[in-house]
Amino acid sequence: MSYRSSICATALATALLATPAAAQVVDFGKYPDFKGQWVRTGNPNNWIALAGPPPLTPEYQKIWEGIQADVKAGGAGNWPSTFCIPAGMPAMMSLYDPMEMVVLPRATYILISHNDDSYRRIYTDGREWPKDVTPTFAGYSIGNWVDEDGDGKYDVLEVETRFLKLPRSYDISGIPFHSDGQAVIKERIYLDKADPNTLYDEITVFDHALTRPYSKTQKATRNSNPRPMWFSEVCSETNTHVFIENEHYFLSADGKLMPAKKNQAPPDLRYFKPTQ
Amino acid sequence: MSCRGAIRAAAFIAALLATPCVAQVVDFGKYPNLKGQWVRPPGNPNNWIPLAGPPPLTPEYRKVMENNVADVKAGGPGLWPPTFCIPAGMPAMMNLYEPMEIIVLPETTYILISHTDDSYRRIYTDGREFPTDAALTYAGYSIGRWVDEDGDGKYDVLEVETRFLKDPRGYDISGIPFANDNQTRIRERIYLDKADPNTLYDEITVFDHALTRPYSKTQKAIRNPNPRPVWIANVCSEDNIHVSIENEQYYRSADGKLMPSKKNQAPPDLRYFKKTQ
Repeated sequence: MSYRSSICATALATALLATPAAAQVVDFGKYPDFKGQWVRTGNPNNWIALAGPPPLTPEYQKIWEGIQADVKAGGAGNWPSTFCIPAGMPAMMSLYDPMEMVVLPRATYILISHNDDSYRRIYTDGREWPKDVTPTFAGYSIGNWVDEDGDGKYDVLEVETRFLKLPRSYDISGIPFHSDGQAVIKERIYLDKADPNTLYDEITVFDHALTRPYSKTQKATRNSNPRPMWFSEVCSETNTHVFIENEHYFLSADGKLMPAKKNQAPPDLRYFKPTQ
Repeated sequence: MSCRGAIRAAAFIAALLATPCVAQVVDFGKYPNLKGQWVRPPGNPNNWIPLAGPPPLTPEYRKVMENNVADVKAGGPGLWPPTFCIPAGMPAMMNLYEPMEIIVLPETTYILISHTDDSYRRIYTDGREFPTDAALTYAGYSIGRWVDEDGDGKYDVLEVETRFLKDPRGYDISGIPFANDNQTRIRERIYLDKADPNTLYDEITVFDHALTRPYSKTQKAIRNPNPRPVWIANVCSEDNIHVSIENEQYYRSADGKLMPSKKNQAPPDLRYFKKTQ
């Protein structure tokens, strides 16, 4: 009779799991605990520091030298965020500002408020790459959860990101991407096995401006406050950079337009009445 | 023996549910299915006055609104901060100028909308109280509560209250102002249509010192039938033609040059440029 009761219990459990409601039951214990607020340590402009000099082709090495010269002259170089353009991938994962990761079976969402609010959708629903996607600064990401040690729990989120829009850079160093917009970025995101409050993101960039893939590992630390403060950065609110007719100007402390470079000409005012 | 067996089975299930592992099991069947892409119905998203009627403004703020409307007529931006890539914020973002995704987790419901730029709301449903001191943001600080209205064991409505809202904000392009004391509170009831689960309603009520009484509308949204919809990313600064210099609005013309936005508008002060240039 006891055996029969066990069978009954098993049947009951099976029946429960077979209900439509059970189909909506998710065991988050299968996934690594990515909850909370993740913050970087150190300077976020760390691609060269962590990955070494970029292996640029001779053509893109010259472009990069031109970018560096522009910055020295007071220009914006190759850092689109100067004008409130999102950092995009991979720069956003340098964690200029804190990150939240929201894990669901169908997708992992990454929320970062730097420049402005920004988010990534990393689809983990088994989809294939679409043929035609409008490029965005964050790109289109597909992820795959991996159980590396075979313990029945996922350890690593492997991500590939395509359909990335230009202009983007790696960080304020201005390292350029190829103008063909064909960059592909692969990531492996996982917790430190010895310290679950440390997260790593191994980021590898494949781009035609490079002679070989270019990689760094970004580290992040979990804020110990379970209810952390999330602020919201709004770039345009305090941005002092103005872009007029392909020229970069500043807004001075008193709000007036001022040059960004030595001997820079003022903007063309031909559309204003001379008598004004 | 059969009874004892059943008791043992019940104990087994109870033990399972009590394990730390099961503590991470979430039954999403308790929540309304808010997945997918929600778009506003055809029509103008600047719909506060059509849906809620004329705003019950105090005399002081009635004048402020009249000035906002007059400024727009003269070519100015009025009261619509997204003109300069400032987020629409609450309640304007819930007009769904662009599609919305709602992500429900037990502790938090997230709302993602890419209008002006990416923007998101965190609606905390973890039972917390409002903090005494939170940084003001355009989306505000939101606390929600799931309600089972018909007692069937499933949640029907997400009730939300939002505080700590930053100015400047508008309701939409109509120029209806908020009091400049940053004390706005917004209450919402978000739920699916019982007859059509692909229709969602957001009853939005604003409490503000510029108003003589609460001001309410119900925003409707329709679920995109495509289960894998295209999500656009709106980047305001990418092609924004509005330039603000010394509190004056100018336009960038098609050829990139600066141009006036108002008749007889003076050009910007160029005193910081060398005259010999």
